[in-house]
Amino acid sequence: MGNNGEISFFSEAPMEDIAAVNKKVSAVFDAGTKDLVFRLKITDFVFPKALMQEHFNENYLESDVYPTSTFVGKVLANKDGGTTVKGDLKIHGKTNQIIVEGSLIRKKDLVNIYADFAINLEDYNISIPKIVMYKIAEKIDIKVNIELKEIK
Amino acid sequence: MRILVCVIFFLLPLFSNGQDDLFDLLDGNDELPYVSYLFKGTKVVNSQSVELPAPGVLQFNIQHRFGPLSSGFYNLYGLDFSQVRLSFDYGIEDWLATSIGRSSSLKIIDANAKIRLTRQVQEGFPFTIVLNSAAYLKQWQYGQKETEDFVFTNQLAYTNQILVARKINRNLTLQLSPTMLHYNLVEINNESNDKFSLAIGGRQKLSQRISLNVEYFYQLNDKRNNNVLSLGFDIETGGHVFQLHLSNSPAMIDSEFITQTTGEWLKGDIYFGFNISRVFTLHD
Repeated sequence: MGNNGEISFFSEAPMEDIAAVNKKVSAVFDAGTKDLVFRLKITDFVFPKALMQEHFNENYLESDVYPTSTFVGKVLANKDGGTTVKGDLKIHGKTNQIIVEGSLIRKKDLVNIYADFAINLEDYNISIPKIVMYKIAEKIDIKVNIELKEIK
Repeated sequence: MRILVCVIFFLLPLFSNGQDDLFDLLDGNDELPYVSYLFKGTKVVNSQSVELPAPGVLQFNIQHRFGPLSSGFYNLYGLDFSQVRLSFDYGIEDWLATSIGRSSSLKIIDANAKIRLTRQVQEGFPFTIVLNSAAYLKQWQYGQKETEDFVFTNQLAYTNQILVARKINRNLTLQLSPTMLHYNLVEINNESNDKFSLAIGGRQKLSQRISLNVEYFYQLNDKRNNNVLSLGFDIETGGHVFQLHLSNSPAMIDSEFITQTTGEWLKGDIYFGFNISRVFTLHD
């Protein structure tokens, strides 16, 4: 289990790149059942610009209505150099099944999880109006990095 | 490697069945969230809102006000007259912000500080409360200073306000602003230097990016001048906020519009104006 994992996202846009990091991601992995869950608060995403953060919360993710995002999945395969996880990712109140390739590495009583994947904003009902000055890419790259500690 | 990871990482009988139980593990460290974004801008219409620029953010405002609608077609219903206020707002801390500005036709330099005392908390404290304090200095020309009755302090006026706001729901915010203005120099002999007024204001979001803002200042002790009603639309387009206003006052600073308003809505003394603001992130 871990409480200060990092999930960041990045989107390249013509005017300015959009990037944010959430350093308060919590996750639990059950090595017995292979269940893996993640949870984060939308308001914990920190942007380099306060205005972007406001738009992210107010206009796009609507964090007052959908305050958290979760992932509920299972580790399907874990071989040297790669791990496959399948599960339901819930963002903005909308759930989609995703399959993510990453790595899950155990060192003594720690498990490190890394993943790098992309999602489509459209799949999560996040709409981007045309009047917005900085164009936002439809695809967003997401990076996951969390260290879990064994709990007894 | 596979066997290594398959080693039971944790297996408490309590959470051994189901993924929902794993979420239960994560509960318990939730702090109560603050209610944020009560207004889109740092002003309701003309008066200050409880919003402060974020720390490290410099906001540049260009404000325009035109003449009264009642001035007729010859003056293109007021558009022939225009005055400008340029101002900078800067967020010093999360709870502290300051601004400096200058109004063109009035030739007044103003500076203010806003201090946030409390924030509205979800299912907790019901209000965001901000103190606003401002000072106004009327500029003079070289010749005026040589006259005998010129006193520097007479050029000054002050505003003190307590701004109490509550986000009622995700679209509606209401704000109550008891206001005290002090003028070092007043126009007639027995006029009070202190003027009290009470404002009620609010914003209603019409869409994700457009909101309707209203504010009304009621004069409490000095009723020689009119109450002030202002309406505005805030339109957000990414980096800029456009604000379109209608008011029975043409002024953009507290010391002029709150207690010095002579225009009346019903007589057509309606002044159109707009603001454009742009934010610059100076440091994170």
